[in-house]
Amino acid sequence: MSVYVLEGLRPWVIQRVSGVYIALFTVYLIYCGVSAEQTGFELWRAWLFDPVNSVGVGLFIIAVLFHAWIGIRDVILDYIHNIMLRIFILALVLGVLAGSGLWAFRILAFRILLLSVVN
Amino acid sequence: MKFKVYRYNPDVDAKPYMQDYELEDIEPGMMLLAALLRIKDELDETLSFRRSCGEGVCGSDGMNINGTNGLACISPVAELKQPIEVRPLPGQPVVRDLIVDMDQFYQQYRAVKPYLIVKDPMPEVELPQTPEQREKLDGLYECILCGCCSTACPSFWWNPDKFLGPAALLQASRFIEDSRDQALDERLADLEGPFKLFRCHTIMNCVQVCPKGLNPTKAIGDIKKKMVTRSL
Repeated sequence: MSVYVLEGLRPWVIQRVSGVYIALFTVYLIYCGVSAEQTGFELWRAWLFDPVNSVGVGLFIIAVLFHAWIGIRDVILDYIHNIMLRIFILALVLGVLAGSGLWAFRILAFRILLLSVVN
Repeated sequence: MKFKVYRYNPDVDAKPYMQDYELEDIEPGMMLLAALLRIKDELDETLSFRRSCGEGVCGSDGMNINGTNGLACISPVAELKQPIEVRPLPGQPVVRDLIVDMDQFYQQYRAVKPYLIVKDPMPEVELPQTPEQREKLDGLYECILCGCCSTACPSFWWNPDKFLGPAALLQASRFIEDSRDQALDERLADLEGPFKLFRCHTIMNCVQVCPKGLNPTKAIGDIKKKMVTRSL
């Protein structure tokens, strides 16, 4: 693995596969939102606690994180030529994305844990 | 007919400038190269540009014409908006006026090993191909290396030393697709990494400007597809 974390063909494939998943899941999210007869925090929580939905959201977060990393990394490789600055910004982006991912999974895991305690 | 031509002689000029010229009696069907030759003959003999065949075959007179790369010898002046603005190919070091240093471009071309690699003992007769195998080279072999595509590519402007550029990648595809070549895996492995091939973001400037009507973006896409199928 290089400093770019994934390089060449692999990120290109991941970017496309994650793009397709993000697009499909966004359509599903919109469908769920539009077709809901009632709204509210409890209903939203119940939706998220559904095993299919929580796995779907988890995969969605992973897809968005990888997609964002590869996209931003591409822009940095194109435009930032100073190696030290490039490594610094790459590390910064990686840190923000990894932090966001961990935060999102903490929320997901916490909710699921809470549900199992309540039940 | 009015012309605005990029002028720069590094020995004399502190910085480049645009010079105006005007030609009378434009002949019907006159190409830009003929107009530039007339400017050189009649108005300013110091104007410098490359040209050779004058028929769109050699690729020597690639230049930026009204903001789009093309060959002067096959660009009719009547179809161009006036004043016709002529500049050197973008992103390349200018040697003088419309002449650019193509070293980087040729280095990237050489890097893809643009020749057949055959590991078996060479046969005493030619290496045969079926008509279907030969057909796969159509749209790839016709490149005249004028440089219009690579110098129109933003990815090549940003990383000319690392990204191979559309012209070299079209040639890579030409040998990857060739049924007689026996170095497919090495060629694909050579193109791995974040820069050589994968800086292409399908901007398609190369397709827009190619004077031979070729499609380097499709060739690059075909290389990626081949990489995916070989890795599965």
